[in-house]
Amino acid sequence: MRTSAGRFQRALDRFISDIGKPVAVAAAYFVGAEIAFFIGTLSDRIFAPFWPPNIVLFCALVLVPPRRWWLYILAAFPAHVIAELGIGMDIWQLLVAFATNVLVAVVNAAAMQRFVGEPPWFCDVRKTWLYVLITALASPAVVGLAGAFVPILGGGLLEDFGVHWTQWFASNSLASLALGPLVLILLADTSLPSVPALRTIEAVVIGAALVVVCTVAFEVSAGTFESGFLPALLYSPLPLILWSAVRFGSRGASGAILIVSAVLIWRALNGPSLFIAGDPETNVFALQVFLISLAIPVILLGAAVEQARRAERTTRDSEEQISFAATSANIGLWQHNLITGDFWATDHCRSMFGLPANAALNWEAIGNAVHADDRDMLKDAMRTAIYGSMPAECEFRVVLAGGETRWMAARAHAAHDDEHGPVQLSGLVADITERKTAEHQIEMQRRELAHLTRVSVVGELSGAIAHELNQPLTAILANAQASQRILAKDAPNLADVASALDDIEQASSRAGEVISRVRRLLRKSESRFELVDVNELFRSTLKLLHSELIARRISVSLDLAENLPMAIGDPVELQQVLLNLVMNASDAMSSIATRKRLLSLTTRTTEEGFVEGVISDQGRGLAPDQQGRLFQPFYTTKEHGLGLGLSICSTIINSHGGDLRIINNESGGARAVFVLPAHKAMAAAQ
Amino acid sequence: MTEGGFTVFLVDDDADVLKALARLLRASGYDSREFATPQDFLREHDASLPGCAVFDVVMPDLDGLELQQALTASGVERPVIFLTGRGDIPTSVRAMKAGAVDFLTKPVNADAFLAAIDHAREQESREREARAEVVSFTARLATLTPRERQVLGHVIAGRLNKQIAYDLGTVEKTIKVHRSRMMEKMGVRSLAELVRMAERAGIQAQHY
Repeated sequence: MRTSAGRFQRALDRFISDIGKPVAVAAAYFVGAEIAFFIGTLSDRIFAPFWPPNIVLFCALVLVPPRRWWLYILAAFPAHVIAELGIGMDIWQLLVAFATNVLVAVVNAAAMQRFVGEPPWFCDVRKTWLYVLITALASPAVVGLAGAFVPILGGGLLEDFGVHWTQWFASNSLASLALGPLVLILLADTSLPSVPALRTIEAVVIGAALVVVCTVAFEVSAGTFESGFLPALLYSPLPLILWSAVRFGSRGASGAILIVSAVLIWRALNGPSLFIAGDPETNVFALQVFLISLAIPVILLGAAVEQARRAERTTRDSEEQISFAATSANIGLWQHNLITGDFWATDHCRSMFGLPANAALNWEAIGNAVHADDRDMLKDAMRTAIYGSMPAECEFRVVLAGGETRWMAARAHAAHDDEHGPVQLSGLVADITERKTAEHQIEMQRRELAHLTRVSVVGELSGAIAHELNQPLTAILANAQASQRILAKDAPNLADVASALDDIEQASSRAGEVISRVRRLLRKSESRFELVDVNELFRSTLKLLHSELIARRISVSLDLAENLPMAIGDPVELQQVLLNLVMNASDAMSSIATRKRLLSLTTRTTEEGFVEGVISDQGRGLAPDQQGRLFQPFYTTKEHGLGLGLSICSTIINSHGGDLRIINNESGGARAVFVLPAHKAMAAAQ
Repeated sequence: MTEGGFTVFLVDDDADVLKALARLLRASGYDSREFATPQDFLREHDASLPGCAVFDVVMPDLDGLELQQALTASGVERPVIFLTGRGDIPTSVRAMKAGAVDFLTKPVNADAFLAAIDHAREQESREREARAEVVSFTARLATLTPRERQVLGHVIAGRLNKQIAYDLGTVEKTIKVHRSRMMEKMGVRSLAELVRMAERAGIQAQHY
């Protein structure tokens, strides 16, 4: 039951939508005709100076696809017949009138669909122009050639064809201008925003005022023929029309035109004669021409207002969208006009600097929010943005009122014009605290790991280090005890004792150096980048490994470049890299004959100005499957290796902006090659 | 002080250590010769001088133990003391097995060091004495007649005069004469002394 009831309901709905609309159009057609008759027809009782049915049909057709037009035309026919018979029109005349009515509607609708396209049509000056050209000028002019025969069929004279054509044209043209836009806007343009209550009242007031002004103007003007005030009076509705157009756009313009047209024509046909020429036809025609020439600019004005308003709304919408998106992405946007000094920033941007939404915005306020150490850097970046050709970027800290420090990244670029140079600086600010924190944590972990591997290297080298320390201690002890023995003698040789003390002093400082080298390696402190002499790094590494290399029966050839530029880096971490690479090279040679165990260490400046260090061994070299995996963490070829050494070396060198590679030598063995950026001033001096 | 002409040959690649140890030895009344590399030592040291050697274990090219082997291989017998900064047990065992007098860990205390030197010195003088004994024994051996040499062989084998006479096909009285002349020429007063000396000189007893 329910199913059949539902099906019936659906069928009914379809019927209503299929048949209901044409019926509604037919009703509107009939009502339009009756309204036209009420406003008044010309003396022949046929031509209405203002004929809405054609517009009703046109509006219906233009809104539906052409294949359904027949339905609406068919529905309009009975309405036409009933209306026209009501005024006693004969059948032929009636049919021709219907044919021309349909023809103008069809031509209008087809041309609109073909040349103007989809609604909305009245928010755009170009489309509105096309509407006016098609429906108010071209189409009535052409179809009017046929329409002029309607009164002739009703007994009119063929000689008056010109007059009839003019009447037909003016009546259809005026309807297209006065009624068409409003109907089409109301029916088709759903994109217009709803109007608040206050504005509705304003619209009603303007409408009522227009009716009153038009009526009064007409009544008064009848007595002022001779005074010459007539034109002034006719233009008295104009301020209200303009008000309406400016305040309500297309809707206001069309509505005002409709009201003025209806009232003026009604009064013209039923009131005192307005124009000097006595007969109503001429009067009405003059009025039509006046209304058409008034309507066209007003409708275009309405469209222009609408277009400007929409453009503004689109801009505001996109600004709001950008601002919303920027806020969501934790990005602040700002602009600084370099000519006027005006500063603009999104609310979010202000809050990022801890500035209230209403606080004055200037560089000083921003500078105060920035961490004291970063102010100059930010200033430099902005200067670069203004005077340089590229956008400038900089990362800085902002100290908020609560003492919280946030990291920001700013990007700025300047807009230039030919006359003034840089005119506007705009940019964005992003909160990168989380990224910075994560980076910091990664850096801390990297350093932690580097430290742990250093500790483990020191552990591995403990024997060698003990030996290095034992040598000076042995010398110290022997010298001290020798001195005691010398002094115990009857005639001690004090010169000998003095010389022993000198040696003790020297050996002590040597022991101290060993200890401080080890301590440096074990120390865990903030990374401090300084100028590093890579040659010196090689020498001190060799000192640390002196006895280890001897114990491993490895001979060393050291070839250090003279005038090697300084590198910039953390000497402890770079020493760790060298230690690791030398130990790796030594390990690689543990299984070959002792006389072949040669470690060559070289430094040089590359063609690109980098500092290069090479640690080359004579071991077995790298197997093909090892090459790609060397720097992977936990990859090791050693029995007791952790597999972290090379991966950490690589991380350290990369964090210094350098590069580490390990490649096989042509003559056997492998070599580790690292490059580090040279300190520029030093490199330039070379 | 060149007490009995005893020289300590120091070999260490570390100049500071070498210099300090030499100073300590001089202050304690020893002669010392210093060598910075094992090669220098092998090339330059005077094998005829009485003395001992002190080798650092960890040295480039040739370590202390290898140096000891090289020294022995060149026919020089000299007590060797090892010094090392890393006193690992396998190395010390190897050194001691190879006949080291002592194996000391750096930094070395003067008393221990000098005690080792003294020990080496005693050993050296003992060996030197023993070597001198053997030399004089061998020289005396050369003065024996073939018959007396024969009798010596039998005597140190523990044979009685009667048995020797029988072995050599003569009478006991003749053997008694040979024997007393042999003992006189060899400068020994007892059979035990003769046996000890003969053993040291590597003379085989005559066994039947």
